[in-house]
Amino acid sequence: MARNKFDIDENLESPFDIKHFRRAMIYIKKQKKPMIIAFILSAISAAVSLSAPLIMQHVIDVTIPAKAVGPLVGWSALMLVTIVVSVYLATIRSRMMTVVGQDIIFDIRTDLFKHLQQLPFKYYDDRPQGKILIRVVNYVNSVSDVLSNGIINFILEIVNLIFIAAFMFAVDVQLSFVILAGLPVFLGVMLMIKTRQRRAWQAVSNKSSNVNAYLQESISGIRVTQIFSREERNEGIFTRLATNFRTEWMRALRYNALIPFTVDNLATIVAALIYLVGLLALSPADITFGVIIAMGSYAGRFWQPILNLSQLYNNFINAVAYLERIFETLDEPVTVSDVPDAKKLPSIQGRVTFDDVTFAYDPGNNILENLSFDIKPGESVALVGPTGAGKTTVVNLVSRFYNITGGKILIDGHDISQVTLNSLRSQMGIMLQDSFIFSGTILDNIRYGKLDATEEEVIAAAKTVCADEFIREFEHGYLTEVNERGSKLSQGQRQLISFARTLLADPRILILDEATSSIDAKTERLLQQGLNELLKGRTSFIIAHRLSTVRNCDRIMYVSDKGIAESGSHDELIVRRGLYYRLYTAQKMEA
Amino acid sequence: MFELKWLWKNLEGDRTRYILALCLSVVGSSLMIVNPYIGQRIVDTFIANDNAVQNLTDQRGLLIMLCLGMIGFSLLRTGLAYLTTMQYERSSQNVLYRVRVYLYNKIQEQDMNYYDHNRTGDLMTKMTGDLDMVRHSMAWIIKTIIESLTIFLAAVIYFFTIDVELTLWLLILSPPIFVVAYIFAKRVRPMYVDLRERLSQLNTTTQENISGNRVVKAFAREDFEVEKFTDKNVNYSKANKTAALVWLDYFPYLETLAQAFNVILLLVGGLFVMNGRITFGEFAAFSALIWAISNPMRNIGIIINDIQKFFASLTKIIEVYYARPGIVNEHKMQDKQRYNGSIEFDHVSFKYGNVEVLHDVSFKVNPGETVAIMGSTGSGKTTLVNLIPRFYDVSQGRVLVDGNDVRQLELDELRGNIGVATQDVLLFSDTIDGNIAYGEPDLPEEETIEYAQLAAAHDFITKMPEGYDTIVGERGVGLSGGQKQRIALARAMAVKRPILILDDTTSAVDLETEEHIQKSLRELEYPCTKIIIAQRVSTTAEADRILILDEGRLIEEGTHAELLAKRGYYYEVFMLQNEGIERQVTDHGKE
Repeated sequence: MARNKFDIDENLESPFDIKHFRRAMIYIKKQKKPMIIAFILSAISAAVSLSAPLIMQHVIDVTIPAKAVGPLVGWSALMLVTIVVSVYLATIRSRMMTVVGQDIIFDIRTDLFKHLQQLPFKYYDDRPQGKILIRVVNYVNSVSDVLSNGIINFILEIVNLIFIAAFMFAVDVQLSFVILAGLPVFLGVMLMIKTRQRRAWQAVSNKSSNVNAYLQESISGIRVTQIFSREERNEGIFTRLATNFRTEWMRALRYNALIPFTVDNLATIVAALIYLVGLLALSPADITFGVIIAMGSYAGRFWQPILNLSQLYNNFINAVAYLERIFETLDEPVTVSDVPDAKKLPSIQGRVTFDDVTFAYDPGNNILENLSFDIKPGESVALVGPTGAGKTTVVNLVSRFYNITGGKILIDGHDISQVTLNSLRSQMGIMLQDSFIFSGTILDNIRYGKLDATEEEVIAAAKTVCADEFIREFEHGYLTEVNERGSKLSQGQRQLISFARTLLADPRILILDEATSSIDAKTERLLQQGLNELLKGRTSFIIAHRLSTVRNCDRIMYVSDKGIAESGSHDELIVRRGLYYRLYTAQKMEA
Repeated sequence: MFELKWLWKNLEGDRTRYILALCLSVVGSSLMIVNPYIGQRIVDTFIANDNAVQNLTDQRGLLIMLCLGMIGFSLLRTGLAYLTTMQYERSSQNVLYRVRVYLYNKIQEQDMNYYDHNRTGDLMTKMTGDLDMVRHSMAWIIKTIIESLTIFLAAVIYFFTIDVELTLWLLILSPPIFVVAYIFAKRVRPMYVDLRERLSQLNTTTQENISGNRVVKAFAREDFEVEKFTDKNVNYSKANKTAALVWLDYFPYLETLAQAFNVILLLVGGLFVMNGRITFGEFAAFSALIWAISNPMRNIGIIINDIQKFFASLTKIIEVYYARPGIVNEHKMQDKQRYNGSIEFDHVSFKYGNVEVLHDVSFKVNPGETVAIMGSTGSGKTTLVNLIPRFYDVSQGRVLVDGNDVRQLELDELRGNIGVATQDVLLFSDTIDGNIAYGEPDLPEEETIEYAQLAAAHDFITKMPEGYDTIVGERGVGLSGGQKQRIALARAMAVKRPILILDDTTSAVDLETEEHIQKSLRELEYPCTKIIIAQRVSTTAEADRILILDEGRLIEEGTHAELLAKRGYYYEVFMLQNEGIERQVTDHGKE
């Protein structure tokens, strides 16, 4: 059963460590070349733009006092050139980094999505869908800038800082220490809020995930909400979730705003100290006025990159809260996957053997115990029995949606745990209880079973399942747009479409799990005729409560008590007068 | 301007706070000019002055005062900045919160027709990315505009007091900046509209993949899904790059123009100094504050860029914000009456799009009666019952409940009198207990158990590891079809409404269980009109009356016996479902 719902925060088991960062580096490394070039361009651009103050200085000191109009025009032109060059280089850098940033998140998103495709049912069953969705789309978007521009700017600012520090020390060592004196205070503040700030951003990501989860559920469950007039109460819940988000955001922002506050003040304090110390404490013999002016301006220049770095740090802490969620999902173990040297399952005949199979969703709570049976190719098997006895579980195991706890399942003698999932499942046609319809045309939805099917094939499949008629009644026929929730299709029609989809796949083993429960008896009857043709030569598992569907099967297995209680043909089981007989006669109607 | 008005409207409750923040922004930005001024005074008086040494001994107090003043002003300014940031964040979060809850309610009140045409992923995009742009507009865009404008104006005024002509020379650059920015705005706007659309598609594809993960696995279509996703991912990534690259087409011009203020100052200012029009000191004053007019100009591009993004998002939000459902629930706070439960369809026709789904249907159900509806797939059964709680409105005729046209009844009251178990069972990611009590959140635990027992759900619930506290996944994943149906049934019964609609609620439960449920329904302790859609004769047989729908027409009506005697549709279905049973049972009986 599910472990998480909309108002439960997902606790993160592992703390963020350098490992996560190294992991992010995998994506960044792919972009090494453009990033290095961009870095060099930025460095040149920054160096070029440094010449502007020098030109200004020269003009003030030399050109203007000399009243040289010609050189003044020349210097101005040169300054314009430096601006154009540095802007041009900066533009190229930005162009490159835009692409880099987008490519990095493209890669992360693709990996995340691919990984999600491999995760078992259980992963999806365990948490609200909105929480998965927000990771793939919103969270990934949030880390783009930090992983591209953020890193380059980080390095640039550090280089900048080192250069300024070097110049600073070259001019005056004593006053340089005054400027550096602010640093321990800054680091102290950072250290103090570090953990709290990180937790605060984690909380923000948690709360936004909760809001999203509830929202998505509210949308998919809207009909139930409206019929039960639950709008007000839902609003209350949503309001609570939105309030929680706001509270956490404000808390996180408090820490974020604290950092520029600290840096700004420290910069001013050290600048004031330069004047005080330089002018009052040191004797004029030790220090010239020129040095004091220079150091005064260095104080500002030294702390500017620190301010920039601290902003980058804020962004980084924020992004980490999302990154660790992304990596957490990527780390989610794929429990059902191909074994290292999995072989392709060759074209099968359709013999299915359960050999002493035991299965539990949760350890210690066996659903099936020591189940053994052998189905011949082409045999049709009906699974009957009380709801929740494990009928669906049995067929889910055949397609290896779950790994069994004990025993073996063989298809044509091949252990299904040793073959590739794709080769296994692509030879099966599984029609689930939940007939999901993708948004798109009816044609596309049926074609999902065989991607390269021609229109004729699709129509033929639809005809077999008696869906052709109602599809044609739509204004746009097979090209009618349908969607996940829309009421354009009735439940029975959805089942027929997903039935057609399954047939189109032309599977060797056909699994029908309550495939016809919402289809009326007359349509089912018509369906049966087409179906009987199709079932010929295919192994099939049919779960149904309607015994008119069941009785024609070659073999009927009554599932209960963690195993098969009765097995045999309809006639055999009727003679036995056991569980099946009871079930069967219950349907006898007094006319 | 509409966008501003809209923001202003949603700022209600925080207007004072926001205006305060704007004022603080103005003050704070103006203060940025103070510290450079103090620094200048220190240099002028104590360092670059002819009497500097003298001043240093005479006016030591002034120096200390100036330095302390610097620190004081810095604390004041950064303190204000902190306060201002928090006010902006608080008010923008409040707007976000308000709009979010408002939109949530809007989404909740839309009718089914809206949901037939809007995809979940699209709504999710509106509620996440688009909403965040609203927050961003309040927290950053407007703030930056005001601050840039203040600094710019303060500097321009200050410059005017020094020298009008030089200031005018500098301002020559502003018009071309505005022109470039305007052209950029025009060009980039459609790109953000497009980007926004692609994000929505990415969201939709991902969301459907997550919702349909079982189908994906059943057909081993992971590769296809990755392909589909990659397509959307590429599109989105491309659109992101395109928009950013358009920005970078204009960025060099804007940036060069903004930095060219320095060039003009150098050239024109230099000439003016040479002419003796302005002094060196005045030139230095210009030079010290030139950033105050060039920085705001640099920001224009980024501001325009974000404004366009904001507009694109707002357009999408407004679609929901001002959406008017065809069927309006006014949530009037009047006393809700309990109905007797009579239902009448008076020549009802219903059109879905252009297709008429129900044709001239008339029938009457008396309070307390049980009416079964049967009919082929797509015959309009669900549509028919959807008209009673007004999920849709009739195209012709009237639906009457207790003698009143449902369109005249207060919607909350009407729906508050109807309990529905829908065919497509929607459970929420909540505990089983919470799901059963969905329509009646204050349901005492004994009653929850009582209704679970009536719905034959108690046994399987107690077998679960955490019983009633087991969290079921969204849409009830992890439960079998029959289990889900029984929880939905318990949920519908637990609200004790005078009208109970069961839409094929027992299709996936076995016959024994169904019998139990039938009995429960018969013995329900509150008076209740029941409308039951069913495919099984065993379900319909006990109804007071049976209605047969065929292609949207009522073709038969009567009791089980009457309809059998009629030898029409019902008789046929009866024979289909019982075919063989009697014969075989009697056969074996002879043995």
